Amino acid sequence: MSIVSVAGVSKRFGAHVGVSDVSFRLADGERAVVVGANGAGKTTLIRMLASLSRPTSGEIEIGSESLVDGRAGVRSRIGVLTHETMLYEDLTARENLRLHARLHGVEESVCEELLETVGLAERGGERVAGFSHGMGKRVALARALVHDPDVLLLDEPYTGLDRASLDRIEAVLEDLDDRTVLAATHDLERGVRLADRVLFMNDGRLIEDASADRFASVEAALERYERLCRGAAGIGAAGSGRKTSDGDGNGNAE
Amino acid sequence: MTALGRYLRVVYEVARKDLLVEARSKRTINAAFVFALLIVVVFSFVFGEQVGSRDVLARGALWIAVVFGGVVGMSHAVAREGRNGALDGLLLAPVDRSAVYLGKVVSSTVFVAIVGVLSTGFVVVFLDYAFPPETFSTLLVVVFLAAAGFSSVGVLVSVLMLHSGLRESLLPVLLIPLVVPILLAGTELTRPALSAPMTSAWFRILVTYDGLMLVAGWMTFEYVVEG
Repeated sequence: MSIVSVAGVSKRFGAHVGVSDVSFRLADGERAVVVGANGAGKTTLIRMLASLSRPTSGEIEIGSESLVDGRAGVRSRIGVLTHETMLYEDLTARENLRLHARLHGVEESVCEELLETVGLAERGGERVAGFSHGMGKRVALARALVHDPDVLLLDEPYTGLDRASLDRIEAVLEDLDDRTVLAATHDLERGVRLADRVLFMNDGRLIEDASADRFASVEAALERYERLCRGAAGIGAAGSGRKTSDGDGNGNAE
Repeated sequence: MTALGRYLRVVYEVARKDLLVEARSKRTINAAFVFALLIVVVFSFVFGEQVGSRDVLARGALWIAVVFGGVVGMSHAVAREGRNGALDGLLLAPVDRSAVYLGKVVSSTVFVAIVGVLSTGFVVVFLDYAFPPETFSTLLVVVFLAAAGFSSVGVLVSVLMLHSGLRESLLPVLLIPLVVPILLAGTELTRPALSAPMTSAWFRILVTYDGLMLVAGWMTFEYVVEG
C-alpha cells in the first residue's frame, strides 16, 4: 500500500516551471532517492511534499489524506531534514528539540533519547549558534524525528558534513529501516546506497523512476542519468566522478 | 487534547519561544530602543524651542518613535526567522498555520508595547513633557491597541518579505503606509484635552483597524507562507 502519492504535481514561479507534471508513489517502508543537477526541481519537490510550498496543480497524498487541502494534522506523519537546519541559534539544542516536541504534542522526554542517538547528549545544553555545520545537521535530524514520523523527507542530507557527522547521520538513517524515506541529493553514491528506488529529475521533470538494483555501480547510475539528460534536453550533462554536476557545469565530483 | 487545545498550545509556544529568544539575544528590543531614543532626541534638538505647543511636539515624537522603532524591531525579528529556515520548522507543526501567525502577533505586540512605554519615558525626559496623570490609563490602553494593530499587519508584511533580497528597504516602504491609521489615532487619542477618549471616533477607528488587520492576517497567513 502506498503511503506517499504524488499525482501530476507541477509548480510554476511566474514563467519559470520548477516542477512539471511529476507523479510517483512510495510504498510503506520504501526508500527512494531523487537525483538531479542543480535546478532540476528536487528541492521544490521536497518542499511541496513537506507542505512548505503549494503545488500550482496536482495532488499529494500522505496515507489517504490530501496534503494540499487536507487537515493540518497530516503533517504529523512527515519529518523533514533540509540543507537548512530550521533551528534557532539563540536556543540550545535541547530547547530547540523541546520546542518542536511541544509543537507536535509529544512528550519532551523523547528529546534526550534523540540527542543520545545523534551523539550530542553532552552538548544539548549549548546554544546552536556555537555548533559546527555538522553538529547543527545532527540536531536537525533529531528535530525531524522528534514526533516519530512515518515519512522522512531529506533534502541534501549529506552536503557540507565532516566524516563524523556523515557517518552518524548515515547510521541513524540506516536504523530507520521501517520508515518511508524520500531523499534528494547530489551524492549518488550515498543516495543509491540508501535507496530502493532512484528517481531521476531534469528541468523539473521526472525522467526516470528505476529500481536501485538495476544499477550495477554508481558509475552506471550516473551514466544512465547523463544519457537521459542528453536525450531530454539535447545537451550533455557535464561532470564526472560520483556526483551529478550542477546546472552551470560546475562539477561536484569528488 | 482537543483541536482547539493543540491550536492554542502552538500559539503559546510560538509566543513563548519568541520572548525567550529575545530575552536571550536582546537584538530586536535593543535595535528598536536605540532607534526610538534617537527619534525623540532628534525631535528635542530640532523642534525643542520652535514648536509652541509642547503637547503637539510630545505626541508627534511619541508616535513616530513607536512606529519607526516598531519597524526596525520587526525587521530584526523577521531576520531571525529567516536564519536557518527557522520559520519553516514552525510551519511543520500539525495545526492550522494561523496559530503560528497569532503566536507571532502576541510576541510582537509585547515588543512594540515595550517600545511604546520606553518612548513615553524618552518623551518625558528629553522633551520635558509630563503626560497628565489622569491620562496614564488611556495612554497604556492606546499603546497596547496600537501595538496589537501594528503587529497584526507587521507580522504579515514582514513574513511576505522574508525571502526578498530587498527586505531591509522594502519593509518600511510597505509597512509604514499601512500603519498610518495607528499613527493618526494614537496622536489624537493621547491628546490631553480629549474628553472620554475611549468613546471617541478615533478609538473606534483604532479598534476596528486592529480587528480587520488581525482577521486579514489570520485568514491569509497560510497562503503567504506557502508561496
